[in-house]
Amino acid sequence: MATLTYLQAISDALRTEMRRDERVMCMGEDIGVFGGAFKVTDGLIDEFGKWRVMDTPLAESGIVGTAVGASVVGLRPVCEMQFSDFVSCGFDQLVNVAGKTHYRMGLAVPITVRLPSGGGFSGGPFHSQNPEAWFMHAPGLKVVAPSTAEDAKGLLISAIRDPNPVLYLEHKHLYRRVKGDVPEGDHTTPFTARVARSGEDLVVIAYGAMVHTALAAADELPDASIEVLDVRSLVPLDEEAILASVRKCSKVVIVDEANATCAAGAHIAALIAERAFEDLDGPVVRVATPDVPIPFSPPLEQAVLPSVESVREAIRELLEY
Amino acid sequence: MSSSSTDTALVDVTMPQMGVSVSEGTIAEWHKKVGEEVGYEETLVSISTDKIDTDLPSPAAGVVREIVVEVGETVEVGTVLARIAAAGAAPTNDEVGGASEAAAAVGDTPAPSTPEPAPVAEAPKQRGYSPVVTRIAAEHGIDLTKVEGTGRGGRVTKKDVLALVENGGAPAAEPPLHIESPYKPDPTPTAPASSPTLSRMRRLIGEHMKRSLETAATCTTWAECDMAAVEAARAQLRVTALPFVARATIDALREFPQLNAWLEGEKYTVHESVHLGIAVSLGEDGLIVPVIHDAQDLSVEGLAKRIRELARAARDRTLRPDDAAGATFTITNPGQYGSIMATPVINQPQVAILDLEAIVKRPVVVTDATGADAVAIRPMTILGLSWDHRALDGALAAQFLSAVARRLQSVG
Amino acid sequence: MATTQAQAAEGAQFLTPEDRVELLRYMLLMRGIEERAMNLYRQGKVPGSFYDGFGQEAVSVGAAFAMAAEDRLCILHRDLGAHLVRGVTPARIFGQYMGRAGGVTGGRDGNVHFGDWRLGCVGMVSMLPDMMLVATGMAMAFRIRREKRAALTWFGDGSTSRGDFHEAMNWAGVQRLPVIFVLENNQYAYSTPLSSQFAVDPVERAAAYGFPGVTVDGNDVEAMFEATRVARERAVAGGGPTLIEAVTMRMHGHAAHDDMKYVPKEQLEEWRRKDPIDRQVARVAELGVDVDALRAEVREAIDSGTEEALAMPMPDPSTATAGVFAEEANELEDGHAPWSGWRR
Repeated sequence: MATLTYLQAISDALRTEMRRDERVMCMGEDIGVFGGAFKVTDGLIDEFGKWRVMDTPLAESGIVGTAVGASVVGLRPVCEMQFSDFVSCGFDQLVNVAGKTHYRMGLAVPITVRLPSGGGFSGGPFHSQNPEAWFMHAPGLKVVAPSTAEDAKGLLISAIRDPNPVLYLEHKHLYRRVKGDVPEGDHTTPFTARVARSGEDLVVIAYGAMVHTALAAADELPDASIEVLDVRSLVPLDEEAILASVRKCSKVVIVDEANATCAAGAHIAALIAERAFEDLDGPVVRVATPDVPIPFSPPLEQAVLPSVESVREAIRELLEY
Repeated sequence: MSSSSTDTALVDVTMPQMGVSVSEGTIAEWHKKVGEEVGYEETLVSISTDKIDTDLPSPAAGVVREIVVEVGETVEVGTVLARIAAAGAAPTNDEVGGASEAAAAVGDTPAPSTPEPAPVAEAPKQRGYSPVVTRIAAEHGIDLTKVEGTGRGGRVTKKDVLALVENGGAPAAEPPLHIESPYKPDPTPTAPASSPTLSRMRRLIGEHMKRSLETAATCTTWAECDMAAVEAARAQLRVTALPFVARATIDALREFPQLNAWLEGEKYTVHESVHLGIAVSLGEDGLIVPVIHDAQDLSVEGLAKRIRELARAARDRTLRPDDAAGATFTITNPGQYGSIMATPVINQPQVAILDLEAIVKRPVVVTDATGADAVAIRPMTILGLSWDHRALDGALAAQFLSAVARRLQSVG
Repeated sequence: MATTQAQAAEGAQFLTPEDRVELLRYMLLMRGIEERAMNLYRQGKVPGSFYDGFGQEAVSVGAAFAMAAEDRLCILHRDLGAHLVRGVTPARIFGQYMGRAGGVTGGRDGNVHFGDWRLGCVGMVSMLPDMMLVATGMAMAFRIRREKRAALTWFGDGSTSRGDFHEAMNWAGVQRLPVIFVLENNQYAYSTPLSSQFAVDPVERAAAYGFPGVTVDGNDVEAMFEATRVARERAVAGGGPTLIEAVTMRMHGHAAHDDMKYVPKEQLEEWRRKDPIDRQVARVAELGVDVDALRAEVREAIDSGTEEALAMPMPDPSTATAGVFAEEANELEDGHAPWSGWRR
């Protein structure tokens, strides 16, 4: 065990897999000599060389498309979108090429696409997005989002070893703020949910940075027994874990940092309505970012993103219901 | 990177956020000592972060009043590093433009309103009960109108009703045995229908049934069946027992195809595909038998879906002619109304019809793995098969019926 | 780096008489299969739409013939001949058109949207220039492993207008990758003529990306072979990519439902005289080969393939939702194959 930041855990996962498997390579903008916009790949080029830690042209469709090509002749590319927002430029290659190839032709496309996501830092409308729901709607793509350093490593290694295209959402807010014990060497995390805090009066369902928001909100309500479920994997979604928590607690708050409409939380709410209706003791409550671009100026941005306060108040309201 | 302290003459120098993911920084060097003068935007301190090393320009002209964080110390973004007593003539924080003005504005704005949580509807008094409360109350025979609620507006919460259950506050009633077929007492007879004659459908059914009994040599065979496995499996799939019985029947028909047949005069035709008729009650109007064509291709879930669709279409009167023609075997399911045995009439020109009755808990003798017998409470049903003695004999009917029962008992 | 005009005559020395007959056989097969499939379409046996490459047979057959077994191809919808060269049987192709369980994609995708990866091909998507990046990525893997292999993809004149054309051309040029881009200039993208598609012939753009562009008579199968052979040699020797512009004509509509009213009759008449099969028939006849016997042989292969496909069952509806995700990666033999730089 070593104590690593979330960011160091991601680097550790890349280094571990590249040492273990010569097929694994990293590709993206500014990831080689410069070490990446967030320094996730810092130093990797010295150990693995410029062809396995590749500074690519500024072309997101190119990054995803060439990764698909490299993967179907045996490599295991790990692509970095400099910011998750830029994945929109690679959307077609992900949705139409990577996602459909196995269903159509039985040919696996083992690529991983790292998406530094999330807001809260005056990144503005183009450096703050949470695009996971776009890809949950596209068949053939897996979507995972770690919240802890341990899972940041484990989920990334699992993503690299998965024979499918996996979108790996790494939240920028957690990079250097979250630290934790991380197993050294080989460490994988299954694509299932995790109970981050156990309770029985109400469950908060969240993923990524919102897990920490939910935990902080729960800590502010010491009189209630609040469970926090860290979904970890959005596709595949651990439906049984979600339903088990709902059946136990009967009251549910779902938190998304993403825009509310058709977000992951909306899908989870639908799942609960379909399969746990008779276990509910109140309306399913959602806290999410309203359907606006993420604004730049701090008071505007803070006004739209879910916060500890807004989650706490949603919990309190529902507890009293 | 700076903001006014409460004392407007003192300007705070804070640890800046050098990049969105940076959470802390370390002091590398102070370029001014306490008491020294510093100009506006003159380098005051050098810092080091995970991403970059940089010099911080002073946010105001004046005298360094206090250094709060020493060289080598690592502090979080936003921590005050030093305080500067602003010189009267020098641009102060409120006067300089750009970033610091914006930052100051943050401090002056009333705390950004946290987004309103998704509104939870205010529950009006006695508006109703949540699904989980209703379910627990039903399971334990609790009269909810007598429960004092502690929720908003006196709403009865799950906690309230669970507390009552734990305190034994209400007699625990037997939970309904078979959600699909709860026994209902006969309704009080309503006023006689205004029409003194039978409806056309009633008349047609009557003629059809009479003709069947006149044509076929109808016999009925019964077998008992333990439905515990089906009950467990259907709860998981959230369907009724009927599709399981349909699937078991289809499999048994594949084993005994002589029953998947038509007898028209002397012409006896065995069918390869199973086109399964399902009798659907239309209430007072009578009964119709929509058909699941090629039922052998459908799973239990597929059958359940098809049965639901056909029953709905039958009740909505939107069945197409094809939907009610061509059945090779029929299942009737009056058990949903609580009866336990019947002698169904064969749907001509088919040679047999299966009858599913209510599933009822009964004490039965069960034998465990060691051969020891014991009395256990099991959900049992009686399967009835009416068959045409012209087409087959009792031995085959019995074999077929036990094949259906055997398959139902080993579901899952 | 300048744009050049490739010549068929130079290629002849690399082709044996048997090869020249094979080139004709594949073109006859392609045309015969597409004519039969069109009839099946009119008989209501082919669901959806139907696309063919009538008149463009030389482009796919000639280019595919120059590629080695270890090379990898992204084949588009007017390039059926390339699938035949790689070894896809007529029966599997008919099964594919008819959505049968025995078609190449087992009914998951239709018409020419397929690629048998076991034969070194990746199936196209409808956003055609996407495949240029996939081919570039395959070439990148070959470069990383220092293998003597190349990737090739076809695309049309319309594709040159989309961004992925630029991203792929630029990427391949920057990394000097062993990839061959075959621009199938068939005069129309659906109904849009070249004059509405680009201001400068896209073959000229190759120089701007740092590699050669070559214009070839796309109706001469031996010229197509030769241009591709030269490009492949350059590629595996580390010389980087080549853009080959095959000038040809789409003799049928964009799809079966398109009556091509927008094409002047004289233009079609002119191109009919340049039919690629007629040209190769003349060459092969000169070698003393019995072309009628060859035609009969091809006809027989098509008849038996049709029969075999018609006997294939339709896919089982209960499998419609299976296989979205892979349970395990494919055994590709890339990376550990005889040609691989990583072979231990």
